[in-house]
Amino acid sequence: MLGFLRPVVSSDLRELKALPLFSDLSVRDLKIVQGVLHEREYLAGEVIFDEGEEGNALYIVRTGRVLICRQGRPENAIAEIGAGGFFGELALLDSAPRAAQARALDPCRLAVFFGSDFLSLLETETKLSNRILFQFARHLGRRLRGTVL
Amino acid sequence: MSVADGATPVDAHRSGPGPVAWAGIFAATCLLLVALNHILWLVVPALMALVLSYALYPPMRRLMYAGLSRQSAAALVTTVFLIVLMAATLALLAWAGARAEDWQAGVERYIRGGAILLERTLAVLEARWSVLARANLAASVTTWLNDYSNTFVERQVQPLAVSILAWLPAAVLGPFFAFFFLRDGRRFHGFIARAVPNAYFEKTLDLLHQMHQTGRSYFAGLMKLTVLDTIALGLGLWALGLPGAWLLGLVAAVLAWVPYVGSIAGCLLVVLVAATDFPQDPKMAYWAIMLFIFVRLLDDFVFLPATVGKSLKLHPLVSVLMLFVGGAVAGVPGLALVLPLLGVAMVVGAALSAILTDRRLRARHHYARRLRAEQAAADLA
Repeated sequence: MLGFLRPVVSSDLRELKALPLFSDLSVRDLKIVQGVLHEREYLAGEVIFDEGEEGNALYIVRTGRVLICRQGRPENAIAEIGAGGFFGELALLDSAPRAAQARALDPCRLAVFFGSDFLSLLETETKLSNRILFQFARHLGRRLRGTVL
Repeated sequence: MSVADGATPVDAHRSGPGPVAWAGIFAATCLLLVALNHILWLVVPALMALVLSYALYPPMRRLMYAGLSRQSAAALVTTVFLIVLMAATLALLAWAGARAEDWQAGVERYIRGGAILLERTLAVLEARWSVLARANLAASVTTWLNDYSNTFVERQVQPLAVSILAWLPAAVLGPFFAFFFLRDGRRFHGFIARAVPNAYFEKTLDLLHQMHQTGRSYFAGLMKLTVLDTIALGLGLWALGLPGAWLLGLVAAVLAWVPYVGSIAGCLLVVLVAATDFPQDPKMAYWAIMLFIFVRLLDDFVFLPATVGKSLKLHPLVSVLMLFVGGAVAGVPGLALVLPLLGVAMVVGAALSAILTDRRLRARHHYARRLRAEQAAADLA
């Protein structure tokens, strides 16, 4: 009955909400996150970042596929990330060099989340950034478990 | 560990800008000084807005934390600031208006007090050195000072009042700009980032972040320095027994924002007060000068490196040289602007030098351009 009071969620926000990292966020939080994201478009074959490059941002794949491989060896794929996936997430924590190269496999649209923006969210939006950090910790835990087992 | 992050430093070594980049940084700073000197009516409110936005950001952050949107928080803090500013201005105008005649008489009294101190000092010097006595220095300086102080109000105070009125509209722009800096700062960031090619994108965003940090830490350093200077001068003047010690300390600390010239003006102000309020005790004025020299030394060797210098990571020699260059190129505004401008030029220059000399980034950019050209011409063959 009071459905008109429910906030209208745009398709962009629904896409963000579908990402594991942002799955706990409210519509208000999602709008804030969307405000700090940068949209970039890459053509198939274009390098997103190189191995050894200083990592400053996390990349979220909106459309298309991204190949993670050793520098200059796309035939030796480490991972292939499709729409809804993300990579380069450790840049949110520090600016350590990238361990692999990222290349666009298809023409793709990426959302870029900068580490410095995340740090300023930590100052201004504590609840929001804690939710992201919690999902991030779960994500790392899953990866670690996958590596150990 | 992520599939794309890790600790395998292939190209982790970063060297600073080379001599060509440094020459570019100095040249860019000088050119900016010349250019900005011609649009001071815009630079001053923009700088005020920048400082104001840094000052208003913490309360705005609290409001955002309490649940307000960025826009509402920016509007609220700016409105509250404007109300406080207007109330303070009205109160000050009412207070100053009621004492307008006292002010005029006070200015003349303090100048006369300074003149008497100078006259006595010169008389003592003439008594000790016959060369000065033969030159009749005390008499000629006294005549010149009497002429100057008699026409001081017409020559200095009125043009000063007129120039303050002329600058008033520009000052009003400050809070207006500050509101937009607070509200749309991030959008501007995004707007700049959209114009940058993919290959240079991450580094450019990093550069913008560094510039923001440099600006913020410079002005935060300046505010800390002002507080430290006020405390040091206020304490010293209070210990000497000067009336209004803390107010004089604050005014002198604010004047010190303009390097050298500001410090001298602050010192002169305090010496005039000391000479006028203690006409029978010239030692008080000399003690005030000693105090200023001591605080200046404290500033240069303790406070400044720990606040402003630390924020800009400038070598002291470079700071002093650039202050001279700033003064020569753009006068007093140049003195005040040269260090923050150099700080920004250093960050931009270092980042541009790193980006433009990075062959890999250039190669990636050319490759991406070729891919785009091929895509655009795909159905033309």
